[in-house]
Amino acid sequence: MVSDLTLGYLSFPVLLLLIFSRAPIGLAMLICGIGGLYFATDGTTVFMARLKSEVYSTFSNYNLSIIPMFLLMGQFATLSGMSQALFRAAQSWLGHRKGGMAMAAVGACAGFGAICGSSLATAATMSRVALPELRKFGYSGGFSTATLAAGGTLGILIPPSVILVIYAMLTDQNIAKLFAAAVLPGVLAAIGYMVTIAIYVRMHPDEAGTHPCMPYRARFKAVIAVWPVIGIFGLVVGGIYNGWFTPTEGAAVGAAGTGIVALMSGSLNWGTFRDSLVQTATSTGLIFFIVLGAAFYNGFLALTHVPQELSMWVTGQGFSPWVIMIVILMFYLILGCVMDSLSMILLTVPIIWPVISGLDFGLTTEELAIWFGIIVLIVVEVGLITPPVGMNLFIINSMDKQTPITATYRAVMFFVASDIVRVAILLAFPVITLVAIR
Amino acid sequence: MTLLHFFIRMLARLMAILGGLTLCAVIAAVCISVAGREVADAAHAGYLGSAGRWLLDHGLGPILGDFELVEAGVAFAIFAFLPMTQLSGGHAQVDIFTTRLSPATQRRIDAFWSIAMLCATLLITWRLFEALQDKYRYGDTTYLIQLPVWWSYAACFGASVVASIVGFYCAIMKTWGQEQSW
Repeated sequence: MVSDLTLGYLSFPVLLLLIFSRAPIGLAMLICGIGGLYFATDGTTVFMARLKSEVYSTFSNYNLSIIPMFLLMGQFATLSGMSQALFRAAQSWLGHRKGGMAMAAVGACAGFGAICGSSLATAATMSRVALPELRKFGYSGGFSTATLAAGGTLGILIPPSVILVIYAMLTDQNIAKLFAAAVLPGVLAAIGYMVTIAIYVRMHPDEAGTHPCMPYRARFKAVIAVWPVIGIFGLVVGGIYNGWFTPTEGAAVGAAGTGIVALMSGSLNWGTFRDSLVQTATSTGLIFFIVLGAAFYNGFLALTHVPQELSMWVTGQGFSPWVIMIVILMFYLILGCVMDSLSMILLTVPIIWPVISGLDFGLTTEELAIWFGIIVLIVVEVGLITPPVGMNLFIINSMDKQTPITATYRAVMFFVASDIVRVAILLAFPVITLVAIR
Repeated sequence: MTLLHFFIRMLARLMAILGGLTLCAVIAAVCISVAGREVADAAHAGYLGSAGRWLLDHGLGPILGDFELVEAGVAFAIFAFLPMTQLSGGHAQVDIFTTRLSPATQRRIDAFWSIAMLCATLLITWRLFEALQDKYRYGDTTYLIQLPVWWSYAACFGASVVASIVGFYCAIMKTWGQEQSW
């Protein structure tokens, strides 16, 4: 008879084996959770009872209902014409500089991220607008696609963010505070990417052209055209932060507001509305199936006390907290090269967070949770733009048929370096993340 | 077979749209509730004068138990979304370690997992049916608006049955079918 603890540890390799042999990740976690409960409780009673109640309660969770609302909001945002308006505004201010069109693309991605909670949607939408323009003004294919892939990751970092909602659930944190804490690191990310672009075009001057300078009148006019983005972001994130409404209510207001903007732009009709619903369905189903699997797997792990034991073991080793933190982040960086961010968060945070919360960084538990959450979010998003399986790279590269993926790989490494520098800065100065909630 | 594929696709799309419309209805209800609450607060504070009092007398305020509507509506929406995710091959997977295998082996792996998926879906559907019977038998209602809980369980069960049908189709096609473009 194996002890529960051994059973818990044994489940790791089994789960990884299932996942690496191409099981749908949610299914793999569900199988391990159910199997684990079966062996740990000597029978089918417990998991049968849990299946009876927990599937419905997971899907009807009030806090998680934010996710489909934000996804629908993102679908409306892609129809709203805001991507063009944002790019035009950013380009009018930055386009004439060296590498300025690429910087404008990053700025527009940041703006779009403020009304869209998903990286892939941000990358895909902004590419449709910015990629042809960048190519027209003499930007090389690899540089253009890499810029947009990196810019897309701002979609998830700048609130609203689907992954932060999940993280908040897993660590029992306040969604409003997590959103507030993510704003400054998000702005820092956009600035970091712009600096990266400036460095890149100086090293490869032949890979970027320039856009004629725009008169100030046109610039201000272009900025005014993006008012719906500012309005919706202010209402949703500001409203949640100031306690005007719960995060779920904020998501509903945001989705409705973005829907109205899309309707006014004339591109929302019955056909595109139906497609938006189907797209929302596909990505919501994807997320909730993993959430369901994770609920069962984490339920089993909690029963085996593996997270506590692991946490005690790690703290008992006497390493410096910083060493443990860096090792954990390296692990995320590597895992991020093969797995999508959401699965990674759901799979690892219930095990890693107890370890982190046992370490002393001179922060309160809440501050630690928020600081760690933002940094992990950045690190797992690096996975979206690292070869070999960076999803953003594939999506954008497939939109530009003439550019070989290797050219994208070469240029994107500059942005990966920028991400790593930013993580180091945020690690060294927790106050950057925490200033918004103190 | 193409007719069957067409039918299954339509079924999954129909469920997705039905779920999406439910989601939109929930969003609208929440927005109305928020607006009602904010205006009612302003009226209570006296900002709106006699018009505010008149509105309050006529039932201005948040929708009672709006979060119960959110929970029931979103639960159905998500059950209704699952068939579309499966049919479009949308579930998250890690492909990188299996791409080197021969196409035949890869097909066998996919067939195996689609059968496992079907088993999981059937298990969930069955347990949901058991829960539905319990809720019906005991006549549970939600706390504030007294909505019979079994209604939303029944809706979710219906969506789950569709998910089983789609899962069944996927398992058969992956096991015996030809290459299909989904």
